[in-house]
Amino acid sequence: MLKGRFKLPDKARRVFPLGSLIAGLDDKGEDESGGYDLVFQSGEELEFIQPNGAEVAKESDYEFQCEFDDDFGINDKMMDKEDAKAPKRSLKDGPGQVSVMEVIAADEKRSDLEHELLLGYLSPSRDLWEKELTGNRQKYAKLKEELLCSPSEVNRVNDDALNSDELNVEGDVAGPLKRHGVSHEDHPLSVGKSSAWHQYFQHTEIADQIDRDLQRTHPNIKFFSGDSSFSRKNRDAMRNILLLFAKLNPAIRYVQGMNEANAEADSFSCFVRLLSDSVDHFCQQLDNSPVGILSTLSRLMDLLKANDEELWWHLESTTKVKPQFYAFRWITLLLTQEFKFQSILRIWDLLLSNPSGVQDMLLRICCAMLLCVKSRLLSGDFVANLRLLQHYPDINIKHLLQVAQDLSPDTVSCPLSL
Amino acid sequence: MGAYRADEDYDYLFKVVLIGDSGVGKSNLLSRFTRNEFSLESKSTIGVEFATRSIHVDDKVVKAQIWDTAGQERYRAITSAYYRGAVGALLVYDVTRHVTFENVERWLKELRDHTDSNIVIMLVGNKADLRHLRAVTTEDAKAFAERENTFFMETSALESLNVENAFTEVLTQIYRVVSRKALEVGDDPAALPKGQTINVGDDVSAMKKVGCCSA
Repeated sequence: MLKGRFKLPDKARRVFPLGSLIAGLDDKGEDESGGYDLVFQSGEELEFIQPNGAEVAKESDYEFQCEFDDDFGINDKMMDKEDAKAPKRSLKDGPGQVSVMEVIAADEKRSDLEHELLLGYLSPSRDLWEKELTGNRQKYAKLKEELLCSPSEVNRVNDDALNSDELNVEGDVAGPLKRHGVSHEDHPLSVGKSSAWHQYFQHTEIADQIDRDLQRTHPNIKFFSGDSSFSRKNRDAMRNILLLFAKLNPAIRYVQGMNEANAEADSFSCFVRLLSDSVDHFCQQLDNSPVGILSTLSRLMDLLKANDEELWWHLESTTKVKPQFYAFRWITLLLTQEFKFQSILRIWDLLLSNPSGVQDMLLRICCAMLLCVKSRLLSGDFVANLRLLQHYPDINIKHLLQVAQDLSPDTVSCPLSL
Repeated sequence: MGAYRADEDYDYLFKVVLIGDSGVGKSNLLSRFTRNEFSLESKSTIGVEFATRSIHVDDKVVKAQIWDTAGQERYRAITSAYYRGAVGALLVYDVTRHVTFENVERWLKELRDHTDSNIVIMLVGNKADLRHLRAVTTEDAKAFAERENTFFMETSALESLNVENAFTEVLTQIYRVVSRKALEVGDDPAALPKGQTINVGDDVSAMKKVGCCSA
C-alpha cells in the first residue's frame, strides 16, 4: 500500500478537476483530522474492507470453511525463482523513478477516495465515513480470518482459545504441543467434496495462477513489481483480495485479467462493486447470453455502425478485423492495458462517474478509440489494422473522452437497457 | 487483398497458432521470433495477440502470421475462434511444470477439433534453460510426440535456444505440404492421395499470392 509512505501534496488535490466535484473533499480537505484522513490511514491487517456483508455472506454460507493461509509457501517459492533469474533482468531503475512514483502516489490517493465514493462504497455524507469504515473493516477482517486460513490453522486457533482458558486456571505456559483430532471424513487426504482439506487443495490451483499473474501485473510500475518489501506487500494484499473474490464467487473464481483491474490493495470492496457491473464478461457460461462478452462486442459494432457506417463497413467487411481480436481485451480489462497509467486514471474517472453505468461509458470510449484512428484504419489492411488496434497509439486522451461523451446517446442506452 | 508495400511481398502466407497452458512462455516465444525480444515481466495475454515475420524457404518468401492465444481455461471458448484457417501450431508446455505437459493432450484434442487434420503441429518444451527445475524429461516428451505424430523441440525463449528452429521447422513443413499438394494437383489431380492435402479453403492462410493481373 501507498499508505503512510507518501505524503499527498496539497496541490495535488487541486490539480484534478474531479476532486472539486466530490462533496466534502476540497472544502474540508485541509483538515486532516476528519474522515478524509481516515481513508488513507490503516492498520496492517485491517486495511481490507468488506463491502457488501449481506450479499457476500449469502454466497459463502454453504460451503466455504477455511482453505487458505498466508504462509502457503507458493509465494516464497515464486520469490526464490525470481531471485534465481534476477541477475538476467534488465535494470529499469533510473533517476526518473522517484518523481513518477510521487505522481502515482498522489494520483492514486486522490483516485482511491474518488473511486470509493463513485463506487458507492462510501456514503456521500462525510460524517458517516468513520463509522462505515470501521464497521466494514471489521467485517472484512472476520471474512479474511474465516476464508484465508488452512484447516490446521483453524484447529490451532481453536486450541489456543481452549488453552488460554486452561492457562488461566493452571498457569502452565510451556506444556507439550497438543495433538489435533483428525476425523474420518476430514483429513488432508480426504477427497470428499465437503472436506475442508479437499477444498483447500483444490484452491491451490487458483492461488498458483494468481501468483503467476501478480508477478506480471503492471511490471513497469514499482508499486507492483520487483523484490522490494514494499511491492511484495502490495502483491500479498492483492493476492488476498483476488483469492477472497475467487472463493466468494465460485462460478467465476479467478480469471486472468482481474489482476489488472484490481490495482489498489485497499480496494476489495471497490473491486467487488466494480466487477458487479462487468462480472458477466468473466463468466464463460454467459459468453453467448445477452449479458456476455460476445453480445457486448456486437453492441460495440452496433454503436460504431450508428456513428460511422463507413468505418464500420471497412472493419467488418473489407478488412474483417473482428472485435474479438482487439476489443475483447479493451472491455474485459476496462482499458487498463491500452493506455499509460495517467490516462487510465482519467478514463476510470469518466467510467465510474457515468450516470448510465460503467459499461455504457466503456462502450462509448471503445467506439471513440476506433473513430479517433479512423483515417489510419481506412488506409490499412487486415494486418496493419490489427496491429494498430492491439497496440493502440498514444493519442490525446482529453479529445478521446470528449468524442466518447459526444456519441449519439440513444444508440448506446437503448441496447444497454437489456 | 489490397496493395502491399515492397517489404510485405511474399509467396506464401501461413497462419500459425501458439497454444498451451497459461504461463508456459508462448508470448515470449513469439516476441523472440518476431522481434528478438524477451521479457521476464511480460503481461498475461488476454484474448489474442498477433505478429508476423517472413522467412525464406528454398527460393520462396514465406510469411508467417502468428496468433498468440490466452492460455487460461476461461478463454478457450473464445480463443477457439482464432484457430480458423490455421495450418500450423506450436503447442507449448513448460518443462518445469509437469501439469502443463499433462494438459498437452487436451490442447491437442482442441486443436484437432477446430483445424484441418493436416495441420502441422510441433510440441514445444519451453524454459529449457531452467535445468535445475526440470520436471518433464526430454524422453517422455519425445515419446508423446512420436505417439501423437507431432514434431518436437525443446526451447528457451530466454536464451534464444531453438526458437528460430522451431518456427522455421513448422513453416518449412507447411511449405512442403502445400507445394507438394500444388505439384500433385498440377500433375495428376486424380492421383491426389487421401489425407495428404491441406485444405486451403477460402481463408488467408496457405495462400499462394498471385500476380496482380491473374487474380
